Amino acid sequence: MTTINPPSPATKKSKRTGSKRPAEPERFALIGVWAVLFLVFSLIVPETFPTTANISNMLGSQAVLLVLALGLIVPLRAGDYDLSVASTLNLSAVVVAVLNVNQGWNIWTAVVAAILVSMCVGVVNGFIITRFDIDPFIVTLGIGTVVQGIIYQVSNSVTITGVDRQLSDTMLTQPFLAIPIDFYYAIALCVVVWYVFDHTAFGQRLLFAGQSRDVARLNGVNVSGLRWVSMIISAGIAGVAGVIYAGTTASADPTSGAAFLLPAFAACFLGSTVLKIGRFNPWGTLIAVYFLVTGITGLQLMGAQQYVQQLFYGGALVIAVILSKLVKSRGERRRQAEVRPDVAA
Amino acid sequence: MTDLSSTVGSSGVASSAPLLRVTDLQKAFNGVPALRGVDIDVRPGEVHGLLGANGSGKSTLIKVLAGFHDADGGQVSIHGRELRSPFGARGLRDEGMGFVHQDLGLAPAGTVLEHMALDAVGDAKGFRRVDWSGERRRVRDLLERFEVAVDVDATIDMLTPVQRAMVAVVRAVGGQEKSTDADRRGQILVLDEPTVFLPRHEVGLLFDLLRRLRANGDAVLLVSHDLDEILQVTDRVTVFRNGRTAGTRETEGSTRDDLVQLILGSRDEHVAKGSAVVLDDRPPLLSAKGLTGNRIDGLDLDLHAGEVVGITGLAGSGFEELPELLYGARAARGGQILQNGEVVPRPTPAGSMRRGVILIPADRKGQGGVLGLTVKENMSLPFLTRRAKGFSIDWAGIAVQSQEACDRLNVVPANPDAQFGHLSGGNQQKALLGKWLDTAPSVMLLSEPTQGVDIGARREIFKLIRAAVAEGMSVLCATSDYEQLVEMADRVIVLDEGRVRAEIHGDDITKDALASAVYAEEAS
Repeated sequence: MTTINPPSPATKKSKRTGSKRPAEPERFALIGVWAVLFLVFSLIVPETFPTTANISNMLGSQAVLLVLALGLIVPLRAGDYDLSVASTLNLSAVVVAVLNVNQGWNIWTAVVAAILVSMCVGVVNGFIITRFDIDPFIVTLGIGTVVQGIIYQVSNSVTITGVDRQLSDTMLTQPFLAIPIDFYYAIALCVVVWYVFDHTAFGQRLLFAGQSRDVARLNGVNVSGLRWVSMIISAGIAGVAGVIYAGTTASADPTSGAAFLLPAFAACFLGSTVLKIGRFNPWGTLIAVYFLVTGITGLQLMGAQQYVQQLFYGGALVIAVILSKLVKSRGERRRQAEVRPDVAA
Repeated sequence: MTDLSSTVGSSGVASSAPLLRVTDLQKAFNGVPALRGVDIDVRPGEVHGLLGANGSGKSTLIKVLAGFHDADGGQVSIHGRELRSPFGARGLRDEGMGFVHQDLGLAPAGTVLEHMALDAVGDAKGFRRVDWSGERRRVRDLLERFEVAVDVDATIDMLTPVQRAMVAVVRAVGGQEKSTDADRRGQILVLDEPTVFLPRHEVGLLFDLLRRLRANGDAVLLVSHDLDEILQVTDRVTVFRNGRTAGTRETEGSTRDDLVQLILGSRDEHVAKGSAVVLDDRPPLLSAKGLTGNRIDGLDLDLHAGEVVGITGLAGSGFEELPELLYGARAARGGQILQNGEVVPRPTPAGSMRRGVILIPADRKGQGGVLGLTVKENMSLPFLTRRAKGFSIDWAGIAVQSQEACDRLNVVPANPDAQFGHLSGGNQQKALLGKWLDTAPSVMLLSEPTQGVDIGARREIFKLIRAAVAEGMSVLCATSDYEQLVEMADRVIVLDEGRVRAEIHGDDITKDALASAVYAEEAS
């Protein structure tokens, strides 16, 4: 991503070797591991793994998770956890189904309503977090559970089937280049998030607010406003993910959304070890999502049981956090090493 | 522990053999030396004062002893036993040293008993049951022995400030008690500016406690800024200057002038100042009317174009909070801020920036810049909206601008893509200064602008600030670094307990004049 920051030409006054940016091959480590994983599975299960059907399935099936994770990295970039995203996703799917199937609304009106309802969750989260200065971890855990309760209430705790086919058609059933359409939506969102993060003032302010609230505040950034908005964005995008979810299944059940929470966090944290180390970034998140599904699919095709998912996602989250810690302390040591020769000079 | 009397004997008369001896201790941060080789010895049964200007190395020494920092060289011996840094995370606590820091380290909701028991339980194994009734008895005895009258079941937030300080002291002393109660060795208690947050009239109570400790055969190392306190309670005093020991004196027979002399060094240093103050008829760029904060109490102040106003005082006198109050980063409790004669209704950092008032905070690493981001990113923050093309940030333009700033201010390395945290303190400060100067401010509020900055960069920063002032900017510089004020300020306001105690102008600003104003006696 350095292409957008033209390398400064005139560094003639650079008196220190440390001024050269370290190459950091770790940035691409996960991509390498991913390629190796892909190759290994292709050799072990050549008849099922490297097939168009399987690849298309892997790409398409992860769109919901990817969209959800792309929403989640917005508050994460601002230094806040949002544990309510999975419930919000589920709420959105249920609202679409209830309004469309039970209330007979037009499907697109129902979709818009679902996304607005989802954003309300973010409004409430953001209000409590910034107004009362409470740890977002606790607030979103609580609100997420409240949302889960609301889901049971509006859905009568049953799975609602028969969502208008129009929604499924725009998500799943009419693939482009053999890949379901929802994959392209996720990629489009990835581009948008990347642009906002790297090329807008909003994205940079989010970064500063997340790195140091004090620095941001003293530089005139409205930190609480920004945190509030980031909660609304993550809830809104979770709502979009819910709509896609409802479209891919043509139904909505009151419980399955919760299963997305941990994979989303795993993808975000693993993604922060790729491309831009130590920063939550959309392309890293994308790579992490597909790395995870490659591993899981490959193992399942080799005959592993369903539980391999939990092992893989849970393990990946913990390993990702350890990795970012290690990379950070490596950076510290490198800094120390750079400073010493300067002292002698 | 083995019997140490024989080794102690070799270093002098047994009774005055030091409990703690520090020899030639050295420590540098990023190449900037904080301790260039300090010596100090603390004997049993004495209260030993440690004095020195800001940055003289007092707190670095304490932090090395407490295990926060590792020393680069030198020796420390306790009870005659030679120890080498690093001392580990617990520092020298297991060797019989106790530390009471300025913030006391007490949890408001915990009880006195819980705090004290925590230390006793601290090294117990696993899930061993806490003997609460035994602890209660032990803590009661301990408090009684030192005549500290507090209820062991009182929570910390129910105590008065001085009671809290006394609990912290007894806790630090009592921490090691139980292991050596039979043959009690003297302990060394380090108090780091314990009186800054205490009401004046209660300080005496704390000092009485210190005297009881002394009678008990323990030693107290008292770090303070306050000469009166040092003269009042200590037996001997050591003064640090620029990371070296300037001298150790018997307190009896020393005068405050002797000590000021030691703190400041030679008297003949006098740097000629550039321009004189230009006060014109226009309203001041920024002024405060009856401004009141946590410490500042009804301050009136005018900042005019073309002048550097210094503001100083003892720690806790309120000078530290003035820049943040004026910037709107900290809510004032009362008073008004006026810009160009007009009242600013609700000052906020964003509003101040729009009006051309900027702040460079003292805590560079925590508040000035983000260490993990690049220099360019750190410099871009005030320009994100200004330097935008459509929705998009003009990164190329920002790159050029930060490159120019780095070159102009001689930031080394002059590479905007370098990580901010990799720069030395002085270069970080120059980069921040460059960022803010590019916003063309009219008022610059500085808080300890050269803390942790090496001599060379310090000169450059002074030059940059004077140049900006010559073009009509106004600068407020809050610092306890007198040399800096002598070199830079057109006038200096000395605060005491939140109020103006003295104002010194032009060539009258000397280190002596500042020191005598700051350390002037209470009644003045």
